Amino acid sequence: MNHQHDMRPIQKHPLNVRVFHYLLLLSFLPLAATGLLLFFKPLTQEAMQLTYDIHIIAGVVMAADCVAFTLMAFDRVLLFTARVFSFGKSDLGWFKVLGGYPQKFLLGKKVAVPPMRKYNSGQKLFGACVLIGGTLLVFSGLVLWLMPHIAPREAVYLLGQVHLVAGLILTAFLPVHLFLAVYRFDDFKAMMLHGNVPYHDAAEYTPLWVEKEVVPVSGEKGC
Amino acid sequence: MNNKPYLFAESRFLLSRRKFIALGGAFVAALALPVGWFSQKLMQRNDYIKARSKGLYRDDATAMLRVSHANPAVEKYYRDFGGEPLGHVSHELLHTHFIDRTRLKS
Repeated sequence: MNHQHDMRPIQKHPLNVRVFHYLLLLSFLPLAATGLLLFFKPLTQEAMQLTYDIHIIAGVVMAADCVAFTLMAFDRVLLFTARVFSFGKSDLGWFKVLGGYPQKFLLGKKVAVPPMRKYNSGQKLFGACVLIGGTLLVFSGLVLWLMPHIAPREAVYLLGQVHLVAGLILTAFLPVHLFLAVYRFDDFKAMMLHGNVPYHDAAEYTPLWVEKEVVPVSGEKGC
Repeated sequence: MNNKPYLFAESRFLLSRRKFIALGGAFVAALALPVGWFSQKLMQRNDYIKARSKGLYRDDATAMLRVSHANPAVEKYYRDFGGEPLGHVSHELLHTHFIDRTRLKS
């Protein structure tokens, strides 16, 4: 069936996920910026102190956001975990052509890409890094902020290094994520506004998700 | 009748009960590992101080001389040279003088 102009809405990002993502966006952007400033220390002492204070406040917001979402939407966290850690032959195929993006951007060519579920292989890799890196950042950040004086020195040093490496990796992912998020504009609107993608967009980018996981709302009991 | 602003959504039964329990257990275990590691480090943080004080107490308990005023060398010093504790000669010889070496005073 051709879904080229099918605009029927599919709910992709429910409200709780969108609220979690808003808070993550509001906290992680200042965290990345202040984190880089804290690493390179280019400012005066007073400005560095202000940078540190902003980093702490934004860190508390992010930690509270992550803990609250994990407790309140544990099923969604588990589903996300299961999705990002699944790996198969189609992922290998996706990575071989990098989702067809370089060919599209650099050569103007369209190449065949293995069909994907809700997240493509690149998003899954990013999701796994966010899940592991985010957990490490929250945990190490809380220890470094709240108990550096009572924790053993070598543990504080190790957690400081973990915080630095995880922060730099996730910050490096950020421009790529922002660019591709805006490039997939239907998905961008879904995450930032109403939660829904048009059927044609889902069928083009995430055909297996549409085929195996998406159901009509009126057809499901309790919806 | 559907009154939602979308016509399709993910099936609510994607995650079976068995998968939920298995994944949930793995998730909680993965979170418990760093917390366990850190708590253990925190509990053991004063072990070397405790071991040092234990060693000092053990040395003290087995020492022949347990108080300085019973030390034969000290007794000999006062008997042959220093006179009496807190006396003039002892004060001159044993009292420590301090000099302010602070360079930066703000």
